[in-house]
Amino acid sequence: MIDPVSRPDRPMWDDGVQPQTINELIQARIDGRLSRRDLVRRAAQIGIAAPVIGVMLHATSDDAFGAPNPGRPSGATARFQETVPADKATAPEGAPQTGGTLSIGTNEEPDTLNPYVTQLVTSSDILAGVMSRLLKYDSTQQLQPDLATGYEIAEDGLTYTFNLRGGVKFHNGDPFTPQDVIDTWKMIMNPDFGAFSQLGWEKIKDITSPDGERLVITTTEVFAPFLSYVGSDYISPAKELAKGPEKFKQEFGRAPVGSGPMKLVEWTAKQQVTLEKFPEYFGGPAKLDKIILRILPDDNTQLVQLRTGEIQMVGGAGALGATRVDEALGIENITVLEHATLGWSHLDLKHIDFLRETKVRQALDFATPTQQIIDKLLKGRAVISVADQAPGSWAFNPDIQPRPFDTKQAEALLDEVGLVKGSDGVRERDGKKFEMELWGIAGSTEAQQIIQVIAQSWNGIGIKTSPQFQDVSTIWGPEGYQFTDKMTACLYSWFNSNDPDDMFYWHSSQIPDSPTGTGGNLPAYFHEYNFQAQIDDLTSRAVKTTDQEERKQLYFQIQQLLHDEVPVIFMYWGKSFPAIAKNIGGFWPSAFNRLLWNVQDWYLTQ
Amino acid sequence: MLRYVIRRLLGAIPLLVGVSVLSFVFMQLAPGGPDALFARNARMSPEQIANIRHNMGLDRPMHEQLLVWLGNLLQGDLGISYTQYRPVTTVIWDVFPNTVILITAGLLLSLVVSLVFGVLAARRQYGFFDNVTSFVSYFGLAMPVFWFGLMLQLLFAVKLGWLPSANMHSIGEDGFWDLLKHLALPAFTIAIGSIAGWSRYVRSSTLEVLGQDYVRTARAKGLREQRVVWGHVLKNALIPFVTVVSIDIPLYLTGAVLTETVYAWPGMGRLFFDSLAVRDYPVLMGTLVLGAVLIVLGNLVADILYGLLDPRIKY
Repeated sequence: MIDPVSRPDRPMWDDGVQPQTINELIQARIDGRLSRRDLVRRAAQIGIAAPVIGVMLHATSDDAFGAPNPGRPSGATARFQETVPADKATAPEGAPQTGGTLSIGTNEEPDTLNPYVTQLVTSSDILAGVMSRLLKYDSTQQLQPDLATGYEIAEDGLTYTFNLRGGVKFHNGDPFTPQDVIDTWKMIMNPDFGAFSQLGWEKIKDITSPDGERLVITTTEVFAPFLSYVGSDYISPAKELAKGPEKFKQEFGRAPVGSGPMKLVEWTAKQQVTLEKFPEYFGGPAKLDKIILRILPDDNTQLVQLRTGEIQMVGGAGALGATRVDEALGIENITVLEHATLGWSHLDLKHIDFLRETKVRQALDFATPTQQIIDKLLKGRAVISVADQAPGSWAFNPDIQPRPFDTKQAEALLDEVGLVKGSDGVRERDGKKFEMELWGIAGSTEAQQIIQVIAQSWNGIGIKTSPQFQDVSTIWGPEGYQFTDKMTACLYSWFNSNDPDDMFYWHSSQIPDSPTGTGGNLPAYFHEYNFQAQIDDLTSRAVKTTDQEERKQLYFQIQQLLHDEVPVIFMYWGKSFPAIAKNIGGFWPSAFNRLLWNVQDWYLTQ
Repeated sequence: MLRYVIRRLLGAIPLLVGVSVLSFVFMQLAPGGPDALFARNARMSPEQIANIRHNMGLDRPMHEQLLVWLGNLLQGDLGISYTQYRPVTTVIWDVFPNTVILITAGLLLSLVVSLVFGVLAARRQYGFFDNVTSFVSYFGLAMPVFWFGLMLQLLFAVKLGWLPSANMHSIGEDGFWDLLKHLALPAFTIAIGSIAGWSRYVRSSTLEVLGQDYVRTARAKGLREQRVVWGHVLKNALIPFVTVVSIDIPLYLTGAVLTETVYAWPGMGRLFFDSLAVRDYPVLMGTLVLGAVLIVLGNLVADILYGLLDPRIKY
């Protein structure tokens, strides 16, 4: 959303771009120099699209709901708080109490709680507190012991040996044994079961246990992300797995049996999921007695319930988006935390026509006001990205600087490759005009605003840009933009996993062979990248070694190559904003694990 | 009468088959599909996706899928949900009663309120009460559900603290009183549109009946005004009203989607909407067919009511 507060010391847009006028218009409306009708008329004259006008009106309306204005306190309780970085566990003042119930609001109902077939983040949020894995990621992206107390990788990189924790019990009373891991592997690989991900598991040749305390996994090839997939996947009890693929899929999905700190006691459809502490948890019983996840599909309702105290937390899949944060900051008993995510928002550039030329893609990057979008539309609640590895992860290359927003350089680059403006102001070469479609996901105001701003900037340098919006199923289906022969860009996010492996995005093996084909390298559908051989070589070498230092150097090179070649325009890393009552302690959310990952440490103060 | 009901019910069967076929075809025509996102999932291999498509039956031709579905339907089997991996009948049955509660409460509320308001407004045409109800009606008609719902939440849950803001029960409670408290706001929200429309309708049809000769006769023979209005006028004014109500019942089913979302009411509207987003065809088909059944039944009830209200109508 556009910030209605004028900041004369910080110009909103660099010169050469229209939106400077947007700011002036808004200020004029706030000062009362302009009526609403005038605002609409003038905005339309300078070519601002309807959705943006809507936002301007909203931003300038006197009674914009729930938008606390720092300069104008609207009541005795209105206070301006700041978000708090989630860099450690929360530790409120006051004595921790034992027991208690915590209600958490989430925006979607789990589809199924079977960890191998769920497609929703909410399910993983819950499963993180109900089930255990061999190893788990903490909030600094370090692997920590869980069912395994330690592990060793053999010299050849093919054999993994895990030391298993003794005395672990599942919620059904069964002890944890190596057989549980073996049967979990067999279920995931069973075609009748149809697990959603076999990644890592399909590299396993055999699993044995020489003494019942150690687990030896041999693999068919060196695969660096192995631990991050297999090591941190959930282990189910053998007795449940023995029910067979169909029954296991159906029954376990409604009543999962894990060995985590919380066990599932009730799930009422579309209403709530109730968890209770498991007194025999191997890490000691949880401090809270009960966790209730209330399903609240409307985010306004979530904010209302935070206000009334009916829920004390929104987090995980239900955490606030950047545009709702201000409303939550106005609630007195609520703290809004913030942490980075592994989702990178970008514009992919279909590798076709002019877009096959590196200089053209660089020009588009120069002409995209990414930092301004982050500062103004997203109110600074995102981190600019230069390539595909998250800041803070070990594979992130800190030496790459983002291209500045500089339309003069953009125009110079386009002139240089012979794309010059015709009589209608649109650039062309050999009779072919530079016309682009700019796609976004329908229904997201954020995406709409961003796309309008970029379209305006690109139009300004002589690239005729027309925005298009569609729902996700359409965009990713066979009728999607990727498979038309027009020049297009599309705004969306990829979400990385804990391992930096990025073959899925760039490798030639990941180019779909048809509109229904699989793979993430969509821009290269018509033509391989002009640096395809290089990126193929680097990305595949980087998963063929388990030496982290060697991998790091390879990922540094990959990021530099991506920055130079601009196969997509890197925009920003999204942030997540869990909001919690001020008396919740031990809560430490991050992008590297799911909501209930350390639920055994959570407590309430008196 | 019984014969008529049976004939109508049998006649509904081809209708329902037609509805199923149309819904099925339209669903298939929509771009994307239940597997559209799989292809862009970094963790799924092409073989796995082919295998999942096979398990779902998506690799068969469309007409075959439709025939299998219809065949199963006749045996009362609605299939297995693509995303929840349990029988669609169970998935729907989990939430169906909740929607019935919400819709029934909304219907009763708007019937009572619109009858009372409509008749009272008609009795003093252009009087103070009439003007007030017209104003309120237009307000009610113009209001978007999600906004109105939010305003009610802010007033009754946040400011006054009288009612819970959403959900069907408070945590750890399942009593009737608790349900009523949670039901009040959503029932009113879902009813507000039809209260507005229907009370205008009752008003005009009452005005029409008030001018009839038999009303003058009733008054002339010395009946009390109460008796004239609520006994003679209302009964006759109701006949066209029943038609309007039966036509509007499907609107309640669609209105339930928004109301249930705003109030986190665990009903069928939300089930439908959630399933639509992920193209869970079996659940979508199940809810559509159930919706069609409800509409057919609603119309049947309306037809039976005509007979009760007007002795001249015989089946």
